[in-house]
Amino acid sequence: MTDAELAPPGRDLQSGGSTLAAEPDTVPGADAATGPDTRFAHASEAEMARILDFYGVAWDYEPVTFPILWNLDGDVVESFAPDFYLPDFDIFLEMTTLKQRLVRKKNRKLRRLRALYPDIRIKLFYARDFRAMMLKYGRLGLVRSLSGTPGQVVPERPTAVEPIVGDDAAELVPAVEETGTPRARARRRGGSEAAVAETEVRG
Amino acid sequence: MSQVRRTDLETDVGEVLLTEHQIQTRVAELGAQIGADMAGRTLTLVSVLKGSLPFMADLMRAIHLPLRIDLMEVSSYGGATTESSGLVRILKDLSSSIEGEDVLIVEDIIDTGLTLNYLVRYLRGKKPATLRICTLLDKPARRLVEIDVDYTGFTIPDQFVVGYGLDYGELYRNLRFVGVLKPEVYGEG
Repeated sequence: MTDAELAPPGRDLQSGGSTLAAEPDTVPGADAATGPDTRFAHASEAEMARILDFYGVAWDYEPVTFPILWNLDGDVVESFAPDFYLPDFDIFLEMTTLKQRLVRKKNRKLRRLRALYPDIRIKLFYARDFRAMMLKYGRLGLVRSLSGTPGQVVPERPTAVEPIVGDDAAELVPAVEETGTPRARARRRGGSEAAVAETEVRG
Repeated sequence: MSQVRRTDLETDVGEVLLTEHQIQTRVAELGAQIGADMAGRTLTLVSVLKGSLPFMADLMRAIHLPLRIDLMEVSSYGGATTESSGLVRILKDLSSSIEGEDVLIVEDIIDTGLTLNYLVRYLRGKKPATLRICTLLDKPARRLVEIDVDYTGFTIPDQFVVGYGLDYGELYRNLRFVGVLKPEVYGEG
């Protein structure tokens, strides 16, 4: 996706190629909502967009990417782009997949996002929430049809921030996506002790 | 489905969440509170079909104020009547103007808040003097859009409930209590 500037908390954030201020009230409103050409990473996101459209709730798809982890050089090594922003309610909405590993990962990202950006309002919409919503709307069959298809097992899409200034920093990007403790991952990548310590603190 | 017996309906409920007595007691309390808050005014209750019907019928008799009632019905996402447009349709609009009136929306349950948010925006466009919301059940765990609710009967856990107007597949509305539907009824067991 798009390149990002270094963006410690409170600095500018990246949004689909144009830089937005961190405050969500600067996110484009309903007129900026993406239309039928929007490419959703997940079938459940497309369904959510249809539901929001149905009830006349304005939404933007992944309008902002929040950096949530930096290396010692100040380069962004991890970020979080919530799926939807509802401008009329000033709230972000992130939908999860059915894979528990990804849920845990998103929960961790969410905790970090909330710690770094305490003014951001975000709701994590779990698979069970989606299932309950489909049950309510008599579309439980849709959930079943998604299970076991790429609609549910699609890998987490690349973050909108693909930074990185130095080679060492670039090496750290996949490291934080891998298994193992942050310290072990950083060591595998040959990071300095200081970088290892920093990764552990922030990871 | 139309031949499902009453006993079958009750068997499908795994747990009674709110008994008839609990509901009636709370409805009386809500009526008294609304009556006190709106003393001296004439109220217009707007009920949203179909789930709110039992609650509306009981609540209106618990409010000791002069009041009018009106009914609305909006299409729900996923319904056959909505597929073509992709937008909410007003299936039944208000019978009379509410401009300048003190309006109370009577809802059976609020979960995502999407339907109610739509209704509030729609009714505000009709310029009532005041617009308040009363819901029997609130399921905040499911909330997607924030709604300021003035009167709440019960805050309930994140479970699929039926009865006292609430349905699954248009059934169970006639149960006198609110219960949790067994997951196997909708194929999740």
